[in-house]
Amino acid sequence: MKVALFSPMPPERSGIADYSALLLPSLRERADVVVVKRGTKKPPRGTDLCVYHIGNNPEAHGWIVEALRRTPGVVVLHDFVLHHLIAGLTIGRRDGHGYLDAMEREGGVVGRLLGHAVLDKRIPPLWENRPEDFHLAGEVLDLATGLVVHSRYVHDRARATAYSGPIWIVPHPAFPVPDLAAADVGGEPLFGSFGNVNASKRIPQLLEAFAQERRRHEGSALLLVGATSPGFDLDRRLQRLGLDGTGLVREGYVDERRLWQLMIAAHVHVSLRSPTMGETSGTAIRALSLGRPLIVSDAGWFSELPDEVALKIPVDDREVSTLTAALELLATRPDVREAMGVAASDLARREHAVERVAERYVAAFEQAAGGGAVADAVLTEVSEAAADVGIAPGSDEATEIARRLAEVQLGD
Amino acid sequence: MRIAVVRPQVPFAYGGVEIFSDALVRELQARGHDADSVTVPFKWYPGARVLTQAFLWRLLDLTEADGKRIDMVVATKFPSYLVRHPEKRVWLVHQFRQAYELDRTDLGQFSESPEDRAIRRRVQELDRVGLGEASRLFATSQNVAGRLERSTGLVAEVMPHPAQDIPYRNDGPGDFVLSVNRLDRAKRIDLLLEAAATEPTLRVVVAGDGPDRQRLEQLVSDRGLSGRVRFAGRVPADELADLYATCFASYYAPVDEDFGLGPYESFLSGKPVITATDAGGPLEVVHDGSTGRVVEPEAAAVAEAAVWLRDHPDEAATFGRAGMMVAAEVTWDRAIGRLLS
Repeated sequence: MKVALFSPMPPERSGIADYSALLLPSLRERADVVVVKRGTKKPPRGTDLCVYHIGNNPEAHGWIVEALRRTPGVVVLHDFVLHHLIAGLTIGRRDGHGYLDAMEREGGVVGRLLGHAVLDKRIPPLWENRPEDFHLAGEVLDLATGLVVHSRYVHDRARATAYSGPIWIVPHPAFPVPDLAAADVGGEPLFGSFGNVNASKRIPQLLEAFAQERRRHEGSALLLVGATSPGFDLDRRLQRLGLDGTGLVREGYVDERRLWQLMIAAHVHVSLRSPTMGETSGTAIRALSLGRPLIVSDAGWFSELPDEVALKIPVDDREVSTLTAALELLATRPDVREAMGVAASDLARREHAVERVAERYVAAFEQAAGGGAVADAVLTEVSEAAADVGIAPGSDEATEIARRLAEVQLGD
Repeated sequence: MRIAVVRPQVPFAYGGVEIFSDALVRELQARGHDADSVTVPFKWYPGARVLTQAFLWRLLDLTEADGKRIDMVVATKFPSYLVRHPEKRVWLVHQFRQAYELDRTDLGQFSESPEDRAIRRRVQELDRVGLGEASRLFATSQNVAGRLERSTGLVAEVMPHPAQDIPYRNDGPGDFVLSVNRLDRAKRIDLLLEAAATEPTLRVVVAGDGPDRQRLEQLVSDRGLSGRVRFAGRVPADELADLYATCFASYYAPVDEDFGLGPYESFLSGKPVITATDAGGPLEVVHDGSTGRVVEPEAAAVAEAAVWLRDHPDEAATFGRAGMMVAAEVTWDRAIGRLLS
């Protein structure tokens, strides 16, 4: 079976490029996978199935959506919210009408009016401050003959839009852990947060909670790794909380090697997120691979992590106090950290192993490529047999047969 | 209890699974249960027929029969475990192996076409549904349980099933190696015949019948083995007991076999077993230098093992006795106690 894969690939700097590169060798052991050159809009000759990796970045995924428009296929939906992508494909190409149409399609007249307000710069861009309210995934879902998603959360959100095609939930693969020494960073324990430093990573709440925790445990430290998002005044916050002197270790954007060294150094990984775009966190997956306990937001994909590996913090008005309690628990109970770490490693090996993930991908590809013909063959034979013995369409007996077919997933 | 033992029936074929499930019905009846066998014909080709034939099981209503409740169903083999029942137990002999470890081998069924690939995946989905519904899930060997867990994530308890009840006895070492198996490529009886071709003093009796018989007979003819290899065909129980009683060892080396009754029958006759390192289930009871010989799947190695056992009758007898102790542990009382608990 020949699969044409439309995805960003290294040296492009994107999480999805790294993701595809990690999986590709294992996919190729199981199927004839051809990586389509960036910008190509047609699949190679003889392709049985086109697979499109789509995330929320128009630079990385705009050309992939254009290819999907020409040849529908299976979409690997890395983010459910695609507002930024669609804005880039419309407003970014001076196609304001396209943006208005997308907004109207999802939000009706109100959506269109809001779109006008964005175009007229009367309100801030919705993809920056209200993306979760207008996901704009409709066109992509319409074109997708099947979806691969990484979480039940995205599965359910897709179904909520009335998407009726097949959906396969395939876990994110675990990255192989490089053989590196931990970075020399103090702190007992050392909490680490990795990724952009901004409000949606709940950094304000994390800083407040850590400041409270540190009043009781002076030895603990917080490592913040990642670029500070524009407009996020980290220094002022640190000063206000008294974290500008000790207790906080700051590293900006770091290369892959340094990132791993810092991740290895952290005893506990904090991976908070709200609002969520439905994405899976690559850094949280790395924490699992490293066997580190996690503190996460109780939202989206993060909620689906087993309780054994992650303390989940509800995003509510008690968020800071709950987060403080979680930090204190893991600061004072190395046995709990140890148990959670072992569970994290087990989960990474069991659910996120590259070979296992690749097998599930290829299962999805094979069902997507041939499943329709097979379903037709089954339904034809069953319905002919039913008709032969006088079972009429719509009768109770036919309904019963349909129910039984659906039970064993032969009914679609 | 009222118990339905369910299995697919390939018309005109009768082998290990059929022997096992019929024996299970008899043993349940002997313990006071109202047990019966329920079979549905099975044909797994061409194309999507494997799915529609499997689906037949889904339409059956085995919650009661003739106005009386059926308390439990016990399924043994794909696709019978797709049957619906609130107390479904599965004693798994094997899945539809063409969809798993036999895929993309000479013994596979599915081509590289998108349709065939999708059919294979559908079979796997059927397994997840049908086996996932079981209130208890047993596998006849570690090999079967391991495959199941790898392919579906489902964990089964390992419970071997006893060999068929025939008048096993040991008349001492005779002058031939015995193969008792269905004549099917996967059973690799040709390896034993090739071994006989390399060792001119080796005599072989092949019991059983099946689709590979003509090819095997041709092989015997081509290798000039007619005087030393005898095809006994399907033999009745008494004759089978005679053959076991008078061989000096049995040969049982299929490719990655699920479980394999052959070694147990051989052990109950006090005879050691020759198997291969890639034989799967038999390796759980056949141990080299303990209950038999385990050799590379090569004709010369099989011949060497057979000659050694023939020429070392004391050691062969010791292996046979050790095997008998292994087989004696597997009883219907224990198995049925676990199955119904």
